[in-house]
Amino acid sequence: MPLLVVKEITKEYDGVRALDRVSLEVLGGTIKGLMGPNGAGKSTLFHLISGIEKPDSGKIYFNEKEMTSLEPHEISALGLGRTFQTVQTLGNMTVVENIMTGMHLRLKGGLISSGLWLPRIKKAEKEALNEAKEILDRLGLLGRWKSPASQLPLGKQKLLELGRALAMKAELILLDEPASGLTPVEIQQVSETICQLKRQGITLFIVEHHMGMVMEIADEVVVLDNGHLIAEGPPDVVKRDSKVIEAYMKGKR
Amino acid sequence: MVKEPKKEFRKRDFFYLIPLWGLSLIVPDADDLYSYRSREFKRREIYYLGGVLVLPLIWPDPHFHHLMVLAGIYAILALGLSLFLGYAGQISLGHAAFFGIGAYTTAILTTRYSFPSFVAFWASALTAATAAFLIGKPILKLKGYFLALATLGFGEIFLVIVRETQTLTGGVIGIFGIPWFSLAGFSFDTYLKQYYLTWGVLLGLFIFSKNLVRSKLGRAFLAVAASEDAAKSVGIDVAQVKTGVFVLSAAFAGFAGSLFACTMSTANPEAFGLGFSTLIVMMVILGGMGNLYGPILGSILLTCLIDILGRYQEWSLPIYGVILILLLIFFPDGIGTRLGIRLLYLIGYWAKKKKRDEGKF
Repeated sequence: MPLLVVKEITKEYDGVRALDRVSLEVLGGTIKGLMGPNGAGKSTLFHLISGIEKPDSGKIYFNEKEMTSLEPHEISALGLGRTFQTVQTLGNMTVVENIMTGMHLRLKGGLISSGLWLPRIKKAEKEALNEAKEILDRLGLLGRWKSPASQLPLGKQKLLELGRALAMKAELILLDEPASGLTPVEIQQVSETICQLKRQGITLFIVEHHMGMVMEIADEVVVLDNGHLIAEGPPDVVKRDSKVIEAYMKGKR
Repeated sequence: MVKEPKKEFRKRDFFYLIPLWGLSLIVPDADDLYSYRSREFKRREIYYLGGVLVLPLIWPDPHFHHLMVLAGIYAILALGLSLFLGYAGQISLGHAAFFGIGAYTTAILTTRYSFPSFVAFWASALTAATAAFLIGKPILKLKGYFLALATLGFGEIFLVIVRETQTLTGGVIGIFGIPWFSLAGFSFDTYLKQYYLTWGVLLGLFIFSKNLVRSKLGRAFLAVAASEDAAKSVGIDVAQVKTGVFVLSAAFAGFAGSLFACTMSTANPEAFGLGFSTLIVMMVILGGMGNLYGPILGSILLTCLIDILGRYQEWSLPIYGVILILLLIFFPDGIGTRLGIRLLYLIGYWAKKKKRDEGKF
């Protein structure tokens, strides 16, 4: 049974169809790539899945539970983490606090018990700090755990955002253009991290504008163009698909 | 030709070391200002506490005590607002209304129904928090300027209600003869006793806030301020967090209002207008947002400033305005924050100057 099912989803902005009856499935434990030229509707699809926007019609299921009408934070609580195209690290906090923010739902404690700093809060915070450091260690950011997140270079901030989603213990992580704006070395590091996550059993759904990285790491790729799904399958098959080549070449002719 | 610097200890080094040691007790560490550890309790905070405890004893002037009581009350209010403004990144221009709700609750309960002031103290916070919860639900959906306007409107509505319900609040005349704060038969009837009462309450609320800020809720506040989308993406219920911190800061304002009513022994609507709301916002901004010492520093500073300027009669307001503008120009991120950075810079400068003089740089 697939982990994420998108069924016949449609979204219009002022009469322009950003997505037209798109259906796709993401299997648990795999890496799925979502590609397409600019304006194909990739980011719209991600916003719909993570609940920031609502579809005009169609349904989205996660773990066989319908989540089309849920609020974004409720969707996250089901175990669906995400990163953003323009990196959204929390610059007013330190690196390790960014990771600990990801554990928000797993940590217990209300207003009064946190304010009084009861022993159980103290214990939970300490454990959370250690766990956050472990995650940072995995991402290779442990050396800068105390510095403000806004001072990290862009590539590290992307990793940090990924770490925040990891700290949620999310089953499925949506990565919105993880490689954009990065140097080749940083892209290598990000894709290594992504492969590591797959080995740990985390499902990843990656939007990427460029072919390179996704073709290397994805198990399966879907291609969107003008709000339509034009191809689906393993990377080397999709790469040779005539419709895909045409969609990518369109702007250059 | 670079001379070999002298290794041995010279007499004049004492002149550097003594003030440096003194500063090191009270000034935050360089990498503490913005780091994770800045939210932990430190040993130097005991020195601050000691200073607060002995200050009225070494300066036994009733007028000064009264001033510090007022500063303490404003500090409680500013502390609550700084959680809302500095941490959660929302703006409120109606906090004087919650302060007023607290003051009037205490005034009415103690004078009309002769409740003990300790009960009235908690009831004030509860009333203010309830009011905040009721208006917070609809208006916290707004952001930025619109939220500022909505809270401003709430403050004005509160004033109108107070002026019009004469049977309950005494209208424009207000309520007189509120008894001193008393606890188990002990009455806080001098300014010195009130000083310890106010700063005791402030200390309690400060520790509460500090604990809150370093817990998961503090991180949720900061996350909402930094990026609501990112906060939602980790499962933080943004609307709930905003309402929660609004209610909490209103409860702080309720505590402060109750203490204010007990110390001034009157409650009248003139004290709770827009001017007062902006004064509190000013205290938070001037003191420095994003740390909890800022609002306390800001409230002490502005209370003293207003008191000193009171001598210049009609000139006080223009001078006050000019001083505020100058402070904002020279301390753009708050005096608390900026002063910390300045002092650190100076310490670093001295240390480097010595080396520079010896030809190291």
